[in-house]
Amino acid sequence: MFPAPIEKSSAATQTAYKVALPIALLIWLLPLIAIFLTSIRPASDINTGNVFGIPSEFNLIENYSTVFAQTDAWNYMLNTLIITLPTMVVAVALACLTGYALAIYRFKSALPIFFIFVAGNFVPFQILMLPVIDLSNRLEIYNTVPGLVMFHAAFQTGFCTLFMRNFMKALPFELIESARIEGVGEFRIFWHLVLPLVRPAIAALAVLIFTFIWNDFFWATVMIQDDASLPITVGVRSLNGEFVQQWQLVSAASLLAAVPPVIMFFLMQKHFIAGLTLGATKG
Amino acid sequence: MTVSEHANSRYDTSMPKVAMGCAAAVVALLVMFSIDVTWVTENFGYEKRTDARVPTFFIRMLFLIGMLAGAFVAFTNLSYYKRNRVALAPWLFLSVGLAFFLIYVIIPIFQSISYSFTKWNGLYDVTGTWTGEWVGFENYRILFGDPNFYTSLYNNVLWLLLFMLAIPIGLGIALFLNQTVTGIRIYKSMFFFPFVISQVVVGLIFSWAYNPEFGLLSEIWGWFFCEQKINIVGNITTSCSVDPPSILGEAKYATYGIIAAGLWPQIAYCMILYLTGLNNVSPDQVEAGRLDGAKGWKMLRHVILPQLRPATFIAVVVTVIGALRSFDMIATMTQGGPFGSTNVLAYYMFDQAVGEGVGRYGYGSSIATILFFIMLIYISYFLWRMYQDEKAER
Repeated sequence: MFPAPIEKSSAATQTAYKVALPIALLIWLLPLIAIFLTSIRPASDINTGNVFGIPSEFNLIENYSTVFAQTDAWNYMLNTLIITLPTMVVAVALACLTGYALAIYRFKSALPIFFIFVAGNFVPFQILMLPVIDLSNRLEIYNTVPGLVMFHAAFQTGFCTLFMRNFMKALPFELIESARIEGVGEFRIFWHLVLPLVRPAIAALAVLIFTFIWNDFFWATVMIQDDASLPITVGVRSLNGEFVQQWQLVSAASLLAAVPPVIMFFLMQKHFIAGLTLGATKG
Repeated sequence: MTVSEHANSRYDTSMPKVAMGCAAAVVALLVMFSIDVTWVTENFGYEKRTDARVPTFFIRMLFLIGMLAGAFVAFTNLSYYKRNRVALAPWLFLSVGLAFFLIYVIIPIFQSISYSFTKWNGLYDVTGTWTGEWVGFENYRILFGDPNFYTSLYNNVLWLLLFMLAIPIGLGIALFLNQTVTGIRIYKSMFFFPFVISQVVVGLIFSWAYNPEFGLLSEIWGWFFCEQKINIVGNITTSCSVDPPSILGEAKYATYGIIAAGLWPQIAYCMILYLTGLNNVSPDQVEAGRLDGAKGWKMLRHVILPQLRPATFIAVVVTVIGALRSFDMIATMTQGGPFGSTNVLAYYMFDQAVGEGVGRYGYGSSIATILFFIMLIYISYFLWRMYQDEKAER
């Protein structure tokens, strides 16, 4: 283990480390802590420049309920949810199929097709923007939630395929081979044998896609103009314009937008990290 | 029935199933194409045409899925499929996902490149004819004389270079946290926090932190450069020897301010990559290194870093992509201002193509094309590395 385990060092070093940890964390999360404190302050504190001090009044409930009462925050959250969940389901489902095809079958074009998915996954969004707007217009789904979901699902299929294919590649191939010799159909093998084995990968992808789509801002800005279907990220930004200089409300709204992905992360931490660090340990 | 007959019957075309599948697919396809928004508006009693768009989409999707199911049944019951199952099945598995990805991601890349040779505002006339005109390399000629383009390009380079700091800092934090004291897991996840939060929220947090009047930075600034005096009347006044800078308001600081904000989540990401990497460092080699007298920096350089190479590779890839994709933060913090000084290619393209009062699809596409080719260098490198790995595994 590197660096050397702290237990082996002197008692003084160990204490120093244990003291340094919370201080380092405090500095690291300083912007977040400060914004949380701001979100529970009354407006008067902000004007007098009370940033770190104890709030003169604790307005936690007032500020957060003002955000819900005065704005469409609740609606925005719901919109994000109805954008995020279908995207998650479609992209992961499609990736199970494509990943299976690319990992289990040995055919010539498997690698080039895999590389198409990988490359497409990394392109800048701007090169897709105008043709995707045009396509959605022609399908008459521009400026609707399904229009945005269609794009997200298609794009995320690329990342999910990359992930699934590598995960399935690590499965014991003999298992599939012997099932084939038994005469089990290809789709049965997929459904009854492989799918149960890749459950951890499905979980990891589900949390990752949830977070990616929940936090998406660019595509929502581009694809949705209608105020009624805006997701929370865009909503929060427009609140920033509405609550000019009312930082306690802006920060409350921002933190609200951050809560669901944070909860998701804490619940599914293991899967989340496994998904993000894919490949970081390989080779 | 003998064994061989039984074996043969497994490969027979089952005519009724094929016929039914084909019929279902054709019917579904015809229905799908005959239903359009106008028809749904009239027959389902929608008042506005726009209200009928989503229901129409769902109805059409339903028939599209029906068509696919029919085609699937028909195809898998052919003796041709049954005999070549292992060769044909992967294409069935791939078909939907690949088609979807091609339509929404791969083909648009080429469309964008072709748009970049046109002058177009994104509109069609009433008959559905394209209203643009072909202008050859005109957009690129204008682009290469556009000072905003060079500002954006310069900022992109800044982003790329400064974003790389996320890698050593992330490694540093990972090394700091790679211990087994009680509660360390919580610390690790708390340090990872900034990455989970939306970039828009990070942007807002930092816009507030940078605010020269009541932000976090001005407060800290005050500890060093300002003092509070109580005047005769009893009011508190603050006087500063140097006024706190307005980071996002001044052209010379703004981009650095946004990059610093962007680094925050990026460092967290690199940290988690390295933490996972450090977890998998072989203890034997570390032990062997210790026996050879390697310690601290030497150990890190010669024993640990080589083993962390896969993590470093991924960290570089995600950091480069993060730097070139920077959009959300600029959009929340400065919208390219002041005076276009914080534009990057990604934001400038957006601004030119769909920004307020502008609809320069052709010009925007030429910016996107340049950005795409810059990214393509990294994509090619990544694919090449992956290809080497694949070859080695075979």
